[in-house]
Amino acid sequence: MSYIHFEQINKKFGSNHVLKDIDLEVEKGQLVTLLGPSGCGKSTLLRCLAGLEQVTSGRVYVDGEDITDVIPRRRGIGMVFQQYSLFPNMNVTDNVAYGLKLKKLPRAQIADKVEHMLEIVGLSEKKGQYPAQLSGGQQQRVALARAMVTEPKVLLLDEPLSAIDALLRKNLQIEIRRIQQQLGITTVFVTHDQDEAMVMSDVIHLFHDGRIEQSGTPEQIYTHPATKFAATFIGNYNLPDAADFNRVFGADIAGESVAIRPEIVMLSKQPLGRTETRLTAKGKIVQHISHGSLIRFGVDFDGLLLNADVVYESGMDFAEGETVYAAVKKELVIGL
Amino acid sequence: MKKRNSSAALVMTLVIIWLLIPLLATIIYSLFEDWTGILPKGFTLSAYQTIFSDPGFLTAMYQTVLVCLVPIVITIVVVLLALFVVTVYFPRLEKYVQILCMIPYTIQGVILSVSILTLYAKGDSVLSQRMAMLIGAYCIIILPHIFNGIRNSMRAINMKMLLEAAEVLGESKLKAFFKVIVPNILTGITVSSLLAVGLLFGDYVIIRNLSSSNVNNMQQFLYQAMKRSSTEASAVFVVIMMITFVITAIVLMLQSRTSLEKTRNEG
Repeated sequence: MSYIHFEQINKKFGSNHVLKDIDLEVEKGQLVTLLGPSGCGKSTLLRCLAGLEQVTSGRVYVDGEDITDVIPRRRGIGMVFQQYSLFPNMNVTDNVAYGLKLKKLPRAQIADKVEHMLEIVGLSEKKGQYPAQLSGGQQQRVALARAMVTEPKVLLLDEPLSAIDALLRKNLQIEIRRIQQQLGITTVFVTHDQDEAMVMSDVIHLFHDGRIEQSGTPEQIYTHPATKFAATFIGNYNLPDAADFNRVFGADIAGESVAIRPEIVMLSKQPLGRTETRLTAKGKIVQHISHGSLIRFGVDFDGLLLNADVVYESGMDFAEGETVYAAVKKELVIGL
Repeated sequence: MKKRNSSAALVMTLVIIWLLIPLLATIIYSLFEDWTGILPKGFTLSAYQTIFSDPGFLTAMYQTVLVCLVPIVITIVVVLLALFVVTVYFPRLEKYVQILCMIPYTIQGVILSVSILTLYAKGDSVLSQRMAMLIGAYCIIILPHIFNGIRNSMRAINMKMLLEAAEVLGESKLKAFFKVIVPNILTGITVSSLLAVGLLFGDYVIIRNLSSSNVNNMQQFLYQAMKRSSTEASAVFVVIMMITFVITAIVLMLQSRTSLEKTRNEG
């Protein structure tokens, strides 16, 4: 059995069926992300694991033990909340030491552990300060230290970075991943940000409407979306009708739609040779948007609009209205 | 900008003077034998000497503080526990609790005291004792003030999430409430307590109706003093003011000491 096992989990709030027959497994030491839009049930599943919500039906196992009916404080789980939830009346040291004091560890041991954990999260200098005196990023690191210092069986992160500005967020994503790998702690991470999920996860479970839409490594999920929803949510996929695509590119892709990543659409000012593995078409540039290192071109292929990403380099620019020739590798076009 | 600040300071000074004049006049009046002309004549502490040598005065002072502090402590504990249960287990009931706690706003002191007398005076239980009736009545009178103060403070913090955070760390809900939530709403508790102190110190109607001669508080002593001498009555009033001031100062000092400790730790 896996380290964490959700077995046929259902959760209802009144008539609202939030989780529908969820079966999910997490291996020890992994960082697993529950990804999905707001209201899809990912946070509810996390709270069921923490014991903060009771499942309507199904069982939850951690390390082989059935914890479905165990109260939160006996589950041995650490949790970091979206709004940090640091205790405002306690300084950084007291916040981090809170769980250890409840375990009735000797004072010296508590001090050592707190010191060590604050070093790991890089906040040794702030140990006497109160939450209100810390920045959002610092508060979140304290929350992380507080959750990890008790050496929980599982660490739960409920959108911990959503209230932090973009640059700090990227740094913290890497930092959390580093600490998680350093301590080898099994972690379940909830986010609605697909980029964040890609950066941090060993495995991603994509949620949609209370069900798991697709599971896999970040690469698998990104390169092989199983459904139209997965393709829409995970990347910037082009999702034209299969019939339109086949007409323009002279292909025979099966399914209702096709999913094409913008970066696999190659553009050229010169005609590109068609082969068995390469599909080609002629189009016209209708849009030009700069994304820093990438330029996204909107191309009209006889009524079929596709986005194409081109790495920014001199000489690879196309003007709006200019005729271009496009090619895509057939094997990378996914029929849905 | 400077002109605007000066005008604001002038207005504030005038308001403070206006508010302090009656108090100062009472203090001066209590310290002189005669104040019928422009200036008072014959400085004396005899009024204070008289009231402090009256054994009834110290009893009244003690009983006033007692019937003031006991209901406040009882009400704070009851409201805290009620709000804990409502927030954690029955959030839908909060509006009903609020309505119940607001009802005393609409009850006049006379009606309350007469109702309590009608209900309990003829019995022989603990609740029929005059002191118990008085404390109970005071609990009702201050309930809306204490409830509003505490509830508003609770709304300023994310109580549910803080409790959940403590619970996941291994704390029980009730202990987490007193260790994490209560310290963060101390300001609200303090302010509402001070409001209640002011309210109860000023009561005359309820204590007069409910306790009759069984409990003698400062207001009743003041009433008796007014019959004897206006200078003595002024001295009693000054003492009441001083007691209120001392209680307020102690509470505020305790609160500021906590803030000071926090500031020191920051350094």
